Amino acid sequence: MGPLIPNGVIPYEWSNIIAIIIGIAFGFILEASGFSSSRKLAGVFYGYDFAVLKVFFTAALVSLIGILYMDYLGYLDMSALYVHPTYLWGAIIGGAIMGVGFVAGGFCPGTALTSVAIGKIDAIIYVVGIMVGVFIFSELFTLFQPIYEGSFMGNITLMDSLGVNRYWFVFLFTALAIVIFKLSDMIRKRTKKIFY
Amino acid sequence: MVNRKLAKVSSFRYTILAIIFVILAAGLVLLPKYVKHEGIDPAELLSKASSTERYISSDVLADKIINQDPSFILIDVRNEAEYEKYSLPNAINIPLKKLLDEDSIPYLNQSQYSVILYSNDNIYADQAWVICNRLNYKNLKVLKGGLNNWYNTIINPPSPTENMTNLDYELFNTRKAASMFFGVVYPEQIKADKPIVVKKAAPKKVITVEKKKKKPAEGGC
Repeated sequence: MGPLIPNGVIPYEWSNIIAIIIGIAFGFILEASGFSSSRKLAGVFYGYDFAVLKVFFTAALVSLIGILYMDYLGYLDMSALYVHPTYLWGAIIGGAIMGVGFVAGGFCPGTALTSVAIGKIDAIIYVVGIMVGVFIFSELFTLFQPIYEGSFMGNITLMDSLGVNRYWFVFLFTALAIVIFKLSDMIRKRTKKIFY
Repeated sequence: MVNRKLAKVSSFRYTILAIIFVILAAGLVLLPKYVKHEGIDPAELLSKASSTERYISSDVLADKIINQDPSFILIDVRNEAEYEKYSLPNAINIPLKKLLDEDSIPYLNQSQYSVILYSNDNIYADQAWVICNRLNYKNLKVLKGGLNNWYNTIINPPSPTENMTNLDYELFNTRKAASMFFGVVYPEQIKADKPIVVKKAAPKKVITVEKKKKKPAEGGC
């Protein structure tokens, strides 16, 4: 049956409208759970708030386990799902730059926009910074192109490239997540409490 | 009292959620594995296979060819040598071995034309039919009796005997006319001393099939 749009259950033309609705819901929940605060987001790096880590790790696991169950029961064809292509060095360098920006500015691109929506000045400046970065990148694209398009590895997943049984992988991943949650709680208790 | 109990439980809420998580993940590991098959449900395939609608008779096919019905394509599933020797007009040769090749899929997997499969009898054509149906291709038919039956009914129709009904005579006449269309010359035509008009067997039909566009799912952050 699924995925709904590639299998034509929902017409292809609806995809943008659905994307907007999902985007609104995503932004609303980010805002409602306090992710529009740069102090909360930066807390991961300083060790006083691990909400970001827990939320995104849990979200990934819920969808991973959910998709695998749906695939197992035949409601979803996993092979038809979109897998983001991997450009190895581009991803590593881009990830590092994004991480620096995350620590320095206290936002990731998505949460920056939710903060702009509630009128935070630092977020507005952050978004302007994103725009400047985009501008520089596109002006110097010919310079960055070899990195951007180089070391292409196709639409691979972690499970395929490691060559392990995917169910075992998910199980170990879940166990790892819970260990990390426990560890992050321990770290949080040791660091000085910060009110924000 | 209720609130206190609730508070006691809810203080463990993250532990409970973590346990649920682990159980669900372990469930994936422990579930019995099975091999998935592509294509349609076996029950659906069976109901399609047992339906008589999947056959087309040689008379109906001859009528379609003579009237230049544009809605179908003929696919010969025999090998190339046999195809070169004799085949129906405008047929496309896709031997059974090449059925799943990249080049043959546009002819089989489309909704523009109905596909009529045939071989010498209908055995190979039936095999092709089952494979294609399993892959959920649409509008597939098999020529009943294949080319042998085609020869015995259309090209060389048996003359009716005297004890047969009028209908049989009519059928024979239709088939005889059809066979003339396909290039058979009868002795009485020569006796009549008429110029023999051997019609070109069905004008060349250009078959264009669109390759199915596969829209890639897009995504991103």
